[in-house]
Amino acid sequence: MTTTAFPPPPPGADHDDLRQEVRAFLAEELADFPPEKRAKSWNGYSREFSRKLAQRGWVGMTFPKEYGGHERSALERYVVSEELLAAGAPVISHWIADRQSGPLILAKGTEEQKRRIVPRIAAGELCFCIGMSEPDSGSDLAATRTVATEVEGGFRVNGTKVWTTYAHVADYMILFCRTGKSEDRHGGMSQFLVDLKATENISISPIIDLLGEHHFNQVIFDDTFLPSEALLGEKGEGWSQVMSELAFERSGPERFLSSFALIEELIRLLRKDATEAQQAEIGRLAAHLMVLRRMSRSVAGMLNEGKNPALQAAIVKDLGAIFEQDIPRLARSLLSRPAVPGASDSYAAVLAYTELTVPSFSLRGGTREILRGIIARGLGLR
Amino acid sequence: MESMIFDMTERLLRDHVSHALREDAAAGHCPEGLWARIEEAGLHMAMVPEEAGGFGVPAAEALGLVRIAGAHGLPLPLAETLIANAVLARAGLDLPGGRLTIAEGDALRLERRGAAVHASGPLTMVPFARWADRVVTLVRLDDRAHVVSLPLAKLTITPAQDLAGMPRDDVAVDLDLSAADIAALDMPAGGVRALGALVRSLAMAGALESILGMTVEYANDRVQFGRPIGKFQAIQQYLAIMAGEAAAARTAAEMAADSYDTPAFALAVAAAKSRTGEAAQTVGALAHQIHGAIGYTREHALHHFTKRIWSWRDEFGTERDWAEDLGRAALSSPQETFWHFITDSTAQGAPA
Repeated sequence: MTTTAFPPPPPGADHDDLRQEVRAFLAEELADFPPEKRAKSWNGYSREFSRKLAQRGWVGMTFPKEYGGHERSALERYVVSEELLAAGAPVISHWIADRQSGPLILAKGTEEQKRRIVPRIAAGELCFCIGMSEPDSGSDLAATRTVATEVEGGFRVNGTKVWTTYAHVADYMILFCRTGKSEDRHGGMSQFLVDLKATENISISPIIDLLGEHHFNQVIFDDTFLPSEALLGEKGEGWSQVMSELAFERSGPERFLSSFALIEELIRLLRKDATEAQQAEIGRLAAHLMVLRRMSRSVAGMLNEGKNPALQAAIVKDLGAIFEQDIPRLARSLLSRPAVPGASDSYAAVLAYTELTVPSFSLRGGTREILRGIIARGLGLR
Repeated sequence: MESMIFDMTERLLRDHVSHALREDAAAGHCPEGLWARIEEAGLHMAMVPEEAGGFGVPAAEALGLVRIAGAHGLPLPLAETLIANAVLARAGLDLPGGRLTIAEGDALRLERRGAAVHASGPLTMVPFARWADRVVTLVRLDDRAHVVSLPLAKLTITPAQDLAGMPRDDVAVDLDLSAADIAALDMPAGGVRALGALVRSLAMAGALESILGMTVEYANDRVQFGRPIGKFQAIQQYLAIMAGEAAAARTAAEMAADSYDTPAFALAVAAAKSRTGEAAQTVGALAHQIHGAIGYTREHALHHFTKRIWSWRDEFGTERDWAEDLGRAALSSPQETFWHFITDSTAQGAPA
C-alpha cells in the first residue's frame, strides 16, 4: 500500500525559534482577543492583523524573494500556520491567497501577473476568494456552467458563482469557468484572475449562513469583460490547474484545528479535577491530534519537495474533519454544560459557536463523500 | 541499508509464511524451520549494535521489521526477540541467541540471598513462552531497575493463548539468578510495557495494511449484481475509511518508533498504542463486513489477521490504559496551554 504512505516529516521540522517568535507576537497582538472570537478560527477577518503578520515576514513565506516572499520552507510556513490556528487568530484576509492563490500565480501566472500581484499578497494587502461552486455545480465541479467567451481583447463572462467566501471584501477572485466545448468532461475549463474592485458588471450579494453571519456570497457575472491578461495559466488547462491546488487546500492544519478554541476551553475546565474516564477521552483526543499533525506535516514535506500528494491530502482532510467535527460531541459527553450563544461564560459561548459551525467542516473544500471517492480510486478499485 | 533489510525480510516472509503455516502454528506447532531462516538472516539481531551482531542500522529504523512481520502475521516471537536482545545488549549482558520473549515484571520479586539474587513470582500472558528459550524483564532491586534474563526451561509454564491461538503463557518464577543473568539498567520511561506497546503498535500497523490490501482485492474480484462489489459507493466509502485508519495507525506507530530512545518516547507510545488500537476496531469490523460470510470462515486468511490485531490491541496496555496515561499527562502538564503540550510532546528531541 505504498500509495497511502506518509513519509516522516523532514528532520528539524520543529523550528522552535520561529515558533517562539510567533507565540510572542500572538501573545501581544491577541492579548485581549476573547475565546468566542478565537472560536471563529480561520474564518476571522482582520486586514490589520494580516498586514502586521506580513510585516513580520510571515505571509508569503515560501514565495521567492524576487516577488516579495521570504524563500522559507513549507515546514516553516507550517509552524506559523498552526500557531495562528491554535491561537484562533483572524487570518482569512490573507489565508487563501497565502495558501493557494499565491502559489498558483507563481506556478502558472505570467511574469506580469507575478510582479503585479504576488508582492502585494506577501505584504498582507490582498484578500482572495475562490469562484468555484455554482448553483448546479457543487461536488460535481465538471458541471460548471459559467462561461468565458473569447472577444476582442479579452473574454466576456456570464454565469453565477455561489458560496464564495469573503467575495464581498476580497480584492481578487480566482474564477474557474468554461472557455470552450470539449468531448472530455474535464476539458475546456480555464482559470482567471479577476480584479473584483476594478471590474464592471459583477454583482456580489450576501448568502447568510445558519449562524446569521455573512461569509458566503453569490457572485453574478453579467456579460462581464475580462482583459486577456486576466487569463491565469493555459486556456483549457483549468481542470488540471485546480487539481494541483487541492493538495495545498486540503492538507493543512486548518483541516483539524477548526474547533481548537473549544478544546482549550474544555481542557481548562477539566484541568482541576478529571475522572479517569475524562482523562482517557482527553488522551484519545491528544493521540488523534498528534497523529493528524504528523500526517499533515508529512504532506507539507512532500509539497516542499515539489510532489503532488493529492491522495494523502484527501486522507488528512477526511480524518481531520471527523476529528474537528467530533469535538462538541466529546465536550458534551465530558461536561454537562449547555451551549449558550454569546454567554459571558466563555465555555458556553464557544460551545454554541462551534456546534453551529461544525456541520460545514465536512462540506467545505471537498465533501466527505468526494474525498472518500478520491481515496477509493487511489486504492486501485477497478 | 535499511531498505535492503526490509526487502530481504519482505521476501523471506512472503515466501515462507503461508496460510497453512499460520494454521499449523495456531494448532500449537512452532515453525522451527522458519525461525532457522530468520536467525540465519540475522533479523533477530537487527536492534543491537553492529559489534554485537547487528546491521549497524539505528534501532528506530530496525523497528520497521516488526511492521513487516505484522503484515505477514508471522507466528514467531521476532518482535520480542528484537526487543529482548536490544535490552540485554544495552545492559551489557551476553546475547544468548535463540528465541527470546519479554514480559512485564511488576509482580516479580528480587531479593538478595547471601551472594545470590533470588527471583520469584508470576509472569502472566507471556508471548510465546513455551516456544522461547528465555524471558527478559525489568524488575526493581535496591531501588534500581534491573534487567533479568530467565531461562524458561527452569520455570513452570502454564499454556494459554490469545484470540489468534498464539501462545500467551503464564510463567511461575522461583529460582536463583546467575550473575550473567542480571544487570542494573536505566531504561527509558515506561519499561517493558512501553517497549511491548511499541512493537504491538508497529505490528498492528503492518497487519492493518495487509487487511486493507486483502479487502481491496476481494472487492475487485467478488461479483454481485453483475459487477465487482468495489464498484458500489457504499463499499468504496468503507474502504476509504479503512485506508484512513490504516494510514493513521502506521503514522502513529512510526511516530513512536522514531522517538525510541528520546524523551518524547513515553507520550508517543501512549498515542501510538491508543490510536492503533482504535484503528484495529474500525478496520477489522469493516474488513469483515466487506468480505461477507467467506471472511468469517477458518478457510479464509482474513481471520488470522483480524484476530491478531484484536489480540495485540489488548497486550501491553489497552488503548484505554494508554489514553488515560496520555490524558493525565496532558491535563497535569505544566505547559500553559494544551497546544503547547501537543507541540512540545511531539517535538523531535524535545526535553522531557
